Amino acid sequence: MIQLQNIVKSYGPHLILQGVSMQVKKGEVCVLLGPSGGGKSTLLRTINGLETFESGEIRVGEIVLPPTGAAGRESALTQIRQRVGMVFQQFHLFPHRTVIQNVMEAPVHVLRRPVEEVRTQAMALLERVGLGHKQDVYPGSLSGGQQQRVAIARTLAMNPQAILFDEPTSALDPRMTAEVTAVMSDLARDGQTMIVVTHGLGFARAVGHTVHLLHAGTIAESGTPGEIFENPQTDVTRAFLSDLHKA
Amino acid sequence: MGFLKRCHRRRVPWNAAVSLRTDFSVLLVCCGLLFSAGHVDAGDGLAKVKQRGTLIWGADQEGGGPFIYPADDDPNRLVGFEVELAQLLAESLGVRSQFQQGQWDKLPDLMSRGDLDIVLNGYEWTPVRAERYGVSIPYYIYELQLLGRKDDPTFNSWNDLFEPPGGRKKRIAVLGGAAAEDYLRKHLGDRVEIALFEGVSDAMRGAELNVDGIDGNLQDLPIWTFYEPGFPKLKAIGDPVGRGFYVVLTRKDDTELLQAINTAIFEALQDGRLRRILSRYRIWNETQSLRGLETNLQGSFIGLPHARSEEPGETEEVDEETYVPVRGFGVIWQRGGLLAKAAGMTVLLAVTAMPLAILIGLLMALLRLYGPALARSLATIYVELIRGTPLVLQLYVLFFLLPEIGLKVNAFWAAVAGLALNYSAYEAEIYRAGLQAIPRGQMEAAQALGFSQWLALRRIIVPQATRLVIPPVTNDFIALFKDTAVCSVITVVELSKEYYIQARSTGAIVELGLLTALLYLAMSYPLSLLAGRLEKRLMTERRT
Repeated sequence: MIQLQNIVKSYGPHLILQGVSMQVKKGEVCVLLGPSGGGKSTLLRTINGLETFESGEIRVGEIVLPPTGAAGRESALTQIRQRVGMVFQQFHLFPHRTVIQNVMEAPVHVLRRPVEEVRTQAMALLERVGLGHKQDVYPGSLSGGQQQRVAIARTLAMNPQAILFDEPTSALDPRMTAEVTAVMSDLARDGQTMIVVTHGLGFARAVGHTVHLLHAGTIAESGTPGEIFENPQTDVTRAFLSDLHKA
Repeated sequence: MGFLKRCHRRRVPWNAAVSLRTDFSVLLVCCGLLFSAGHVDAGDGLAKVKQRGTLIWGADQEGGGPFIYPADDDPNRLVGFEVELAQLLAESLGVRSQFQQGQWDKLPDLMSRGDLDIVLNGYEWTPVRAERYGVSIPYYIYELQLLGRKDDPTFNSWNDLFEPPGGRKKRIAVLGGAAAEDYLRKHLGDRVEIALFEGVSDAMRGAELNVDGIDGNLQDLPIWTFYEPGFPKLKAIGDPVGRGFYVVLTRKDDTELLQAINTAIFEALQDGRLRRILSRYRIWNETQSLRGLETNLQGSFIGLPHARSEEPGETEEVDEETYVPVRGFGVIWQRGGLLAKAAGMTVLLAVTAMPLAILIGLLMALLRLYGPALARSLATIYVELIRGTPLVLQLYVLFFLLPEIGLKVNAFWAAVAGLALNYSAYEAEIYRAGLQAIPRGQMEAAQALGFSQWLALRRIIVPQATRLVIPPVTNDFIALFKDTAVCSVITVVELSKEYYIQARSTGAIVELGLLTALLYLAMSYPLSLLAGRLEKRLMTERRT
C-alpha cells in the first residue's frame, strides 16, 4: 500500500538518501532500524511531505507523490496527510487544547465531521489508550507516556490507512516506553499498517513483520526480524547489532 | 498672533503662578498651602540686559509669517516683523537682540524661569496678562478676518453664520484658545461649530480643503494678509472684527525694562520706523494710526476702554473681564467635568484603534513569516516605514494629505487610523516574535493531521502566539492611551489637550495635573489587572 521508488535527497553536497526503494503492504508493521544519521527519520518524513526529496516517487495506495517542485505535489500531499497519520518523538500535542480537544481537532476542522459523532469516537479512542479519565485536562499536566498515548489517539481519530511512528519511545523512560509499546502492539494485532523508526530492538522483534536497516542513506539489509537479528548478512548490520549489545 | 489661550475669564495671582513653579516639590507634599510665596526676581531686568549686552527675546518660529519665520533664501536666517522689531528695541536699549526659540504657549513660563527678558510673539493684551506680566503699549493693532471658500455659494457674509442657509450650521476653524475662538463663542454661541487647530496655516488649509467639513476660518488679519497668496481658493468675508492689541511681555516687576520698551515703541511710532517695518510685511493699515498709549504707573498698558465697542452686535460693556478667582482644589469641581469628558475621548480613541492595530499587526507578522516573497518584502517595508516615522507626522499626513487626493476623513477617524497604523507596526513585531516562539513541531503535527497551512495558523499557531504576546501587547495598549495626546495636532481634544487648556486658563497646574494623572491611571490600571487575569487564566492550561 506504500511504495517508495529511488528516493534521493540531499542537503547541499550531502546525500542523505541515495535512491532508497521499499514497499509496505497493508497490515504490515515495518520497522526502520539503523545508526543515527543513517536517514531513517528523514525517509519516514518524506512519505507525508515533512521532508522534501529531489527525485524518485512515493505511492500511497493510488496517490502518487512526485518530488519537490513537480506538478501535483501539493494536492497529493493533502490527500496523503488525511490518510497517513504520524506520531512524533516529542508528541507535539497542542498545549492550548484539552486532551479530548486534541483528539477531535483534525476530524472536526479538517474532515468537517459532526462534533458529537467525533466526540463519541474520541472518547472511545481515549479509553482504548487507557486515558478516558483524562479527557478534560491540558497536555501539560500529563506524563510523557500519557502524552504519547494521546498523540496516538489523535492520529487514530483520522482513521488513517497507515501510521508513521518517528522514534515514539525515545523520549520516554522504560516504564512509559512499555505503556506506549503496549498500545502499538495492540494496534498491530488489529492489522494497522505501521512504519516505525525506532531504536527499540525488543519492539522490532516482538511486533515487526519486516525490518529495514538504513545506513548512510541506503538500505543495507531487509528481512524478517528473525532473519535480521539471528542471521545478519552484511557487515553493516552485524556492526550495528553488536554496537547495540555493547551499549 | 492670536494664539492667545483662554485666560481672561479666570485669574490666578502672579505670586501663585510663581510659587507653583518654584516650590513645586513642596507643593506636592502640602498642596495649596503656599499660595503666598514670594517673587523670584528682584526686578533688575534692564540692568542685566545692559550688563549682558543682549536683549533675549522669546518667540516660536512655528507660528510663522509675518511674525517670525525662516527666510526663503536661507532657512538659518530668521525674518519677520517681530524679528525687526526686536532688533529695533535692542538698538534703543543699546544692546544686541538675541532670539530664543520656545513653544509658543510656554514662552511666558520660559520668561518667568529667567530664560528670556521679553516675550515678543503676537501675545494679545488681556486683563489676565496685564495682571500677571508687564505688558507694553501695543506694537500692532490686529483685527480678525472671517474667511470662506470662493466656491461656497452659501457663505458670503457674517449673517450666513448667524442664520446659515439651509439650516446647516457652519463649521469654522480657529486656533485652539485663540482670540478668534473667544470671539465666536461670545458672539455666535452654539450657532456655529468650532474646530480647533494648533497652527495658523493649518486652520486656513483646513478651510480651503473642506477637511472634516470645515467651511471657514476666523483668522488674525495680519496672518491672512500675509498668507493670502498661498490660499487662492479662500476669500475674505465681511469687514475685520474683534480689534485687539499685540503687546510685549516682561516679568511683572521689571518695570524699568518695560518703561524702556514703551519708550522705544513710542519713538519708533513717532518717527515712522515702526510703520516702515509693518509696511514691509504688507500689514500696515489705517487701524495702526489709532494708538492706545495709556499706561499705569508701572508702565503697563491698560487697554482701550472703547476699543471693543466697534464689534458688531456689541451693545453693552464688555463683561469678559469679570474674574472668578480659582484656587486650590475647588477648581477640580469646576473643571473636572471637562477633563472627565476629554478622558472619554481618550478611551474611545484607544479602544477603537488598538483592536485594529492588533489585527493589522498580526496580518503583517503572518505575511512576513508565511507569505509569498513579494508580500514578505512589502510587509517588511510597511513595518519599517511606519515604525521609523513619528506618529505626529503620520497623523498630519493622514489628515491633510488624504483630502488632497479627494478622500475626506473626519478628525476622529483620521486619529483612529493614524494610531492604528502606527501601533500596528509594533504589534507586528511583537506577534512575529510570538509566532516564532511556537515550536516547529506544532506546525508539523498539524500538517501531518491534514491541516492546511492557513488552518494550522488559525487553529494552532496564532492562538498559542496570542497567549505569549498578552504582556507586551497590554504594555502597548497602555502606551497607546497616552499617545492619543498627539491627536490634538489634528484638532481632536482629548485628556492631555483639555488639561493644557484648563491648566493654562486657571493656573491650577498642580491640582488639575493630579486629576489628569488620576484619570490616566484609572484607564491603565484596570487594563493591567484585566490582562493579568487573562494571562493567568490562559496559563493555567500549562498546569492543570
